[in-house]
Amino acid sequence: MTDKGIPIKMEESTSLILDLIYQLKIKDVMTRNLVIASPEDSLDHIKTLMKQRNVTGIPIVKKDRLLGILSIDDIFKALDSGYMQELAEKHMSKKLVMLEEDMPLAFAISYFDKFKYGRFPVVDKNNLLVGMITSRDINVGLLMAINKEVARMEELLAQTTPVDAHHIRKMFRIRKYDFEHAGNASNRIKKLLVERKLDPKDIRRVAVAMYELEINIAVHSDGGTLTVIIDQDHAEITAKDSAPGIEHPELALQEGYSTANEWIKSLGFGAGMGLANIRRVSDSFDFQSALGKGTTVRAVIHFKRKEEKSHDH
Amino acid sequence: MKIDQLIKALDCEVVHRRKETGVKDLKHFVVSDLMSDVLLVDGDVDLLITSLATTQAIRTADIVSAIGVIVVNGKAVTADMKVSAKELDVTLLKTKLSSFEVCGTIHHLKGQE
Repeated sequence: MTDKGIPIKMEESTSLILDLIYQLKIKDVMTRNLVIASPEDSLDHIKTLMKQRNVTGIPIVKKDRLLGILSIDDIFKALDSGYMQELAEKHMSKKLVMLEEDMPLAFAISYFDKFKYGRFPVVDKNNLLVGMITSRDINVGLLMAINKEVARMEELLAQTTPVDAHHIRKMFRIRKYDFEHAGNASNRIKKLLVERKLDPKDIRRVAVAMYELEINIAVHSDGGTLTVIIDQDHAEITAKDSAPGIEHPELALQEGYSTANEWIKSLGFGAGMGLANIRRVSDSFDFQSALGKGTTVRAVIHFKRKEEKSHDH
Repeated sequence: MKIDQLIKALDCEVVHRRKETGVKDLKHFVVSDLMSDVLLVDGDVDLLITSLATTQAIRTADIVSAIGVIVVNGKAVTADMKVSAKELDVTLLKTKLSSFEVCGTIHHLKGQE
């Protein structure tokens, strides 16, 4: 390898990678099972140790305290100059650059770029040696985390793949207080329905129910999901959040009852009409809520059939 | 009433304009700063008149299939609003007049029809 740096450029990375390298800590990826030697060990002994355990750098430790590192380069020098019987403490590198186990992975990556060492010792808060980290550890840890995340995304994708051309199933994640994006899911579904040339009144009912639910999650919950299933004759919208739940479910349905604060009201919401309005536009509506357990609201809207429409006139 | 008449009468700044809006006869106006109240409206909505200068005004207009939004009181239109208006193709107008003055003007124009 010509360069021990890790080719992750912060400004060019995807948000997933950036998330991961800040979420993962050094202790999540480092090697804990260490091959160590004492300062009184001979270089010859350390050479054997390196060969047996297949490592290229060994921390020299006394009573859990890291004193230095002896690398394979030091062994090469000793072989050249013939002092293999001398002790580790005399030849180990004492200028140590250490990382702390609770630092984010991003730190370790920048250290590999900056110092060009093959490995860094990792210490805990009390400065005791707890592990070593190499660029291989970072690659493996990152790869495992990416794999996990991709598996989760694939699962989500499977849920959103339509069963047939007339069947839509989509799940949206709604974040708390994210008013910049709240409503976006509803606008997208509405566009889909317009493209399908559904009755404008039905489109309006689905869009209104969905929008109210979307805003409700952003305003009142700690975040949740909105799932929409649409087939040829009905739409089913399910809003699910995990917390905090509704304290007075019977009051929440009353028009004008609101627990929204002034700030929410200044954004145009929290008039206490949401749930009542969803019920108004739905053919079937139910909701379950318990304080601390979150809320689930389900609204079903049946589309008018073409024959029924002609009877209306 | 056509949109161009309105833009002129209310001295509107046009932030975004849907292409085909010129020919449409505007009949149904809803005035509200509470988006929940707008969503409660049963009938058609052609234009939403509001002092709410956030993306939610644009999103709400799209949900009720309004062709546009008039932001009153000379409120600043945010960058997010411009993006949403373009994305959802909702006409976005801005006027220095108050809701009251806008309504009065529209009422007056309607009387002349």
